[in-house]
Amino acid sequence: MTPAISIRNLTKSYEDTIALSGVDITIGDGEFFGLLGPNGAGKTTTINILTGLVRKNEGDTEIFGRDTVTDYRFTRSQVGISAQEFTQDWFFPLDRLLYFQAGYYGIPKEKAKDRVEELLSKLGLVAKRKARLRQLSGGMKRRFQIAKALVHDPKIIILDEPTAGVDVELRHELWDYFRELHKKGKTILLTTHYIEEAEMLCDKVAIIDKGRVIKEGTPKELTSQLGKAGITINVSDPGEELESCLKNFTYTQEDGRIHFTTREPEEALPDIINALTRHGCHIQRVVTTKSSLEDVFLSLTGKGINE
Amino acid sequence: MNWVGLWTLTSREVGRFFAVYRQTIIPGFISSILYILIFGFTLERRISTIDGIPYTMFIIPGLIMMNTLTNASSNSSSSMLQMKLLGQLPDLLQAPLSSFEISMAYIVGGTVRGTVNGLLILLVGITLGGISVIQPFATVGFIILVSVAFSSIGFLLGQLADTWDQLATLQNFLLTPLSFLGGIFYSIKMLPDWAQAASFYNPIYYMINGLRFTILGVSDSPPMTSFIVALIMTIGFFLAAVLLMESGKKIKQ
Repeated sequence: MTPAISIRNLTKSYEDTIALSGVDITIGDGEFFGLLGPNGAGKTTTINILTGLVRKNEGDTEIFGRDTVTDYRFTRSQVGISAQEFTQDWFFPLDRLLYFQAGYYGIPKEKAKDRVEELLSKLGLVAKRKARLRQLSGGMKRRFQIAKALVHDPKIIILDEPTAGVDVELRHELWDYFRELHKKGKTILLTTHYIEEAEMLCDKVAIIDKGRVIKEGTPKELTSQLGKAGITINVSDPGEELESCLKNFTYTQEDGRIHFTTREPEEALPDIINALTRHGCHIQRVVTTKSSLEDVFLSLTGKGINE
Repeated sequence: MNWVGLWTLTSREVGRFFAVYRQTIIPGFISSILYILIFGFTLERRISTIDGIPYTMFIIPGLIMMNTLTNASSNSSSSMLQMKLLGQLPDLLQAPLSSFEISMAYIVGGTVRGTVNGLLILLVGITLGGISVIQPFATVGFIILVSVAFSSIGFLLGQLADTWDQLATLQNFLLTPLSFLGGIFYSIKMLPDWAQAASFYNPIYYMINGLRFTILGVSDSPPMTSFIVALIMTIGFFLAAVLLMESGKKIKQ
């Protein structure tokens, strides 16, 4: 099956700065894909090359198997972009701006009407339809950015920091909406500084640093491959034959405190408890620790995502 | 061609200046009336006629041309720079619009504003200055041609400029002096020889005189020369503006 987005060996440099040094990303049709990386890692440059804002030095960028440079009319019509930076406009009300946006994608006003109404309603902007952008709050501006990205009903949606600067309630509402879009079969490429967002929403994530993808996989794969997880159990009477009873597990023991190293604590926990209770141990306390994508990110890049 | 996209962007460009008509249409209208009242009626006592034409009537084609070219160029230049500075340009560059379609929309937007302003001053000239237009179709055609040329120049400058200051510098130190020195208020026959010779290198001189010929039937330059210069300028600047957009320099990284 032709991937929705295919990026191969993409390079880009600005004068003496190398922005991308061979990025490879493939995103399947209908996938929810997260692109994570610290500031300046190359996320926005990758997106901008894909959408025609920035010219690449080398490499291939394709949307549904068609080149984004030579076949730009097709590829751009498939993509809707919600940019991180807010657009400003001094002249026109919100609904008119949405009609303009639809028009740029070849959809005349009469055909765009239902879609514009649906998006204004869905994103809570009906009361502000005649307002100018400068009159909106940050959260409303963010919702407008998303409406603008969706007005031509694209198959691929690129969300560049879509919840940056919004309150928790709106963030959760937007997450629900993104899930709904994903369920409808949209391919979504998300860049975010909120690791939790990527962990909760994405089927797959790629971690990009210094212009290169350094790891790719499902959030679960990444945390289990690279994360550090474990279970700490305090028992009152460990006894002398504990070693034979726990021979199938990796653990360290310090008196009554036993620490098990496992990548999937939830899966290993029942077996461990079974083994301990069969041995006659009296369990006093159980603590599970599981690493997050943030830990994976930290271990791969040596820094937090917001650094 | 993305005809709907082209139409949408063009109507946005035209709608934009109509939305702020107090800034884009009324000022030229008022200043032209003032020019006619102050310069025309006061100087007419000292300069009775030029080439047999009363002075007030003589300056009207120059005023039309000045309004046409300043409005045409400032529409496309300010709109392009505004798009850049307000972060609206990505909306166009990421849409399935070609560079040619984007260029056309901006140039048509400036052309409409230049033409609307030019025709309004012509109306002022007819009602207030008492002129009767000798070649009405050629007059309208010439106003449109010059609007295309200067809208293209504006679009070129809008792409090149990164700040309002740069844009104002280009307009104030290039377009305004060339317009005033092109013979809006005088015939070059009134100038010393060296200044007459210098005027031949000013393309706006040919435009003002070409329009003067279509309206009043008098001109310092041969009408065909004026038309050819205007046409060459229009084609040259149109191509330069479109090709700069196509190259993406100053627009794309």
